[in-house]
Amino acid sequence: MSKTTYAGLIMMLAAPFALAQTPQIFPYEYSTTKLDNGLTVILIPMESPGLASYYSVVRTGSRDEWEPGKSGFAHFFEHMMFRGTDKYPGPVYDEIMTGLGADANAYTDDDLTVYHINFASEDLERVVELEADRFQNLKYGEKEFQTESGAVYGEFQKGRTSPWFVGMEKLQDMAFDVHTYKHTVIGFEKDIKDMPNMYEYSQSFFKRYYRPENIVILVVGDIQKDKTLELIKKYYASWKPGYVPPQIKPEPPQTKERTAEVSYPGKTLPLLIAAYKGDAFDVKNKNVIAVSLLEELAFGETSDIYKKLVLNEQRVQLIEAQFAFNRDPFLLAVYAMIKDEKDIDYVKNEIYAALKKSQDVLVDEKRLNDLKKRKKYSFLMNLDTPDNVAGFMPRFITLTGGIGVVDELYAAYDAITPQDIQNAARYYFTPEKRDVVLVKGEDK
Amino acid sequence: MNTSLRLSLGILLLIMVNMNALGIDNNDPVLLPVKDDPTISIRLWFKTGSQDDPSGKEGLAWLTADMLSEGSTANNSYETILEKLYPLAAAYSADQSMEMTIYRGRVHKDNLEEYYPLFLDGLLRPAFKEEDFARLKDRAHNYLQTILKYSSDEELGKAVLYDDIFKETPYRMTTIGGLKSITLGDIKQFYAQHYTRNNCVIGLGGGYSPELLARLQKDLLTLPPGEPKVPPKPKYEPIDGLNVTIVEKDAKATAISLGFPIDVLRGSKEWYALALANSWMGEHRNSSSHLFQVIRAARGLNYGDYSYIENFPRGGQLQMPPVNAARRQQIFEIWIRPVPNETKHFVLRAAIRELHKLVDNGLAKEPFELTRNFLKKYALHYAPDTDSRLGYAIDDRFYGIDGSHLEKFHQMMDELTLKDVNEAIKKHLQYNNMKIAIITNNAEELKKQLVSNAESPIQYDSPKSEDVYKEDKEIMKYPLKIVADKVKIVKVEDLFK
Repeated sequence: MSKTTYAGLIMMLAAPFALAQTPQIFPYEYSTTKLDNGLTVILIPMESPGLASYYSVVRTGSRDEWEPGKSGFAHFFEHMMFRGTDKYPGPVYDEIMTGLGADANAYTDDDLTVYHINFASEDLERVVELEADRFQNLKYGEKEFQTESGAVYGEFQKGRTSPWFVGMEKLQDMAFDVHTYKHTVIGFEKDIKDMPNMYEYSQSFFKRYYRPENIVILVVGDIQKDKTLELIKKYYASWKPGYVPPQIKPEPPQTKERTAEVSYPGKTLPLLIAAYKGDAFDVKNKNVIAVSLLEELAFGETSDIYKKLVLNEQRVQLIEAQFAFNRDPFLLAVYAMIKDEKDIDYVKNEIYAALKKSQDVLVDEKRLNDLKKRKKYSFLMNLDTPDNVAGFMPRFITLTGGIGVVDELYAAYDAITPQDIQNAARYYFTPEKRDVVLVKGEDK
Repeated sequence: MNTSLRLSLGILLLIMVNMNALGIDNNDPVLLPVKDDPTISIRLWFKTGSQDDPSGKEGLAWLTADMLSEGSTANNSYETILEKLYPLAAAYSADQSMEMTIYRGRVHKDNLEEYYPLFLDGLLRPAFKEEDFARLKDRAHNYLQTILKYSSDEELGKAVLYDDIFKETPYRMTTIGGLKSITLGDIKQFYAQHYTRNNCVIGLGGGYSPELLARLQKDLLTLPPGEPKVPPKPKYEPIDGLNVTIVEKDAKATAISLGFPIDVLRGSKEWYALALANSWMGEHRNSSSHLFQVIRAARGLNYGDYSYIENFPRGGQLQMPPVNAARRQQIFEIWIRPVPNETKHFVLRAAIRELHKLVDNGLAKEPFELTRNFLKKYALHYAPDTDSRLGYAIDDRFYGIDGSHLEKFHQMMDELTLKDVNEAIKKHLQYNNMKIAIITNNAEELKKQLVSNAESPIQYDSPKSEDVYKEDKEIMKYPLKIVADKVKIVKVEDLFK
């Protein structure tokens, strides 16, 4: 590796805490531009000699698969996007990317699909051209489409070997009646199997969602702002708007606890997932921000329940919570892997007791401050490469359309008090909003 | 919509690897100062790993490393350690592989003073408490007994492959019996024997001060001096023919790994030549992989297909090669992600046939040029941050590389000729003698098909191109010379006992 290209990291992190009085935590200057066709472009130059990251964030994920029988298409599309255009058919696209030595990949999640490329910044124009081309002119035949559906089914099979996957599939199916969070990102198995017959539908999916108004381009690294914006305008300006929003039905409030037990074909320790209905992300909603801190306070490595169940009594292999940010109300979920089947009820009650405690007793101010400090440092320590900076942003982009919310979020964390956390706990953690799934292995 | 702050402090990156002597015997510190980097990376390399597990105590190096990074110390209970580390957004860990254990941490400069004593206590003053031991041993057991065997067929396939190749050598697989028999006394003994001053190389990277190095050197003097004893590199049993292990389980899809030992290591020109050929054949998780193109892109039979000339643990999670998993003995390995059960024989043929073609025909000029251009830039992504570059610098020391492997990689891509590459292929790769691990259902039936060299026609759910159909006719008949006594069927529950 040559020293010029490698020279590396920029370290803007040295000073962030001198800025504690300002609400800005994100240390890089950036620009946000909206083109006439609705495409949003965010540019973050940073010193990373010779390297840059190019992210295309599609604000569509498995959440947007609202038509019956069509689950899994957002993810399937992630695969199809590598199949090429008239100008650059799949193998040609692959060959050019290979020639660039770019690290190109993609992922799909519930609320978004992300295409990301790490590349040598001297190749910027080529990357912009290729990305603009495939987002506007993707073209594939029925045969390739059907072949790719085989790869998707292979991915499903791979995922299925995890008992957690089996548990989440059941949890989402049970917890949601009408909202599209009913299915996991990869989709219902029957829909995946039927994908080879959905060629025409796939094209309509592309036409509705892969439109400039629904996509944000984020470029980070060794780039010049003006030149980069010019290139993006050059290659994307002709892209026609035409986004059609999905017709997602809001999930009615849950009024009664739901539970299920599901068996895993193989051997596993019992898994327990206890989840509560949450709210859509809104940085101004104190409950949303406060409960996201409770994830760590109540179930993280320094929580009472972790000390009790993992370290002292050693009844669980693992316990953790995920109170994630979503576009629509999703689930605040607590996960446990229990060592002995006879402890299942015990562990479940301990989880409920931990949540009850957060409703009854104010969290310790010092612990809350420690968590705020931890969040800041871990954010700042991980802004050291273009890919790390860019990689942090897609969820915030899909939630809000931009990245200004990152500063707002950290300011919102700072403002949270123990009372806010107690209020949030009282608001969310009620038995009628609860969904519980137990996974047991078939082989004993 | 913009933040006003732009901190442009400038960069000074200086890779300063102390080079008085080269190789595993050199204990001089590996230093990678990065001026203005607000974080500090510490990697203490102990020259020990699973290869040092005594017979019947397989898993001892693993558990000892876990006890250091996830146990109590003389000064703090593990609970307290977690509490103290928490606001620092820092942790420490002991990453143990076959030949190396890296006791490491990364911290923001602001937090160094609070962090340093905790970091050092974990290594120098472990309490080795019974309750920590019980917790970590139980977790290791669950990993082997349930997670590896039942919820990750791909990792299982690789584990079986390595175990088949290195059975009876220090590179063998951890066993459940070995793990069960380990006592706290064994851990203390292993620690005393291997975590010694003379077995340790300090690696420091990022924005550390020179004082930190001196302080570490002084503090590590409390480790016993020790007599480093690196076991000889494993003598594997030569492989005769195609040796198949079929692991029978109720698998919904079939995972396949295959390979054989190769005697070439990072640093030599031949290795870079072979790395180029291997990248073309199967660059890890990249669609440029030829195997990926044949099995996934053209036929849609699975999620991906790759090949390796260096051990690549956690391939399912990592996008780029790991650091500090260096070994003196490597294998060439093909990883075929799960395929539909009914296609397993076909896919096995397709993979070996591609290897056969590469060995017999070599690489053509065009893919050679394409791949070397690819690697020149792609290798930039192998180590984008200080911590991973420090890891590479330590591996450079392990392999005795004069300078930086990553720089050399770049330079060799310019220097290598097609002839170099094709000679390296001829010298190190072959397709007649290898171990094959298959995780699948109906093992007996597969054995019959393999041994009888039965044709394996394939049917697709969707139409394919004429070229694919034409090639399929050759693949389905491609001869695999497999004899009955070289096919072993093992029930998944009987593995790694």
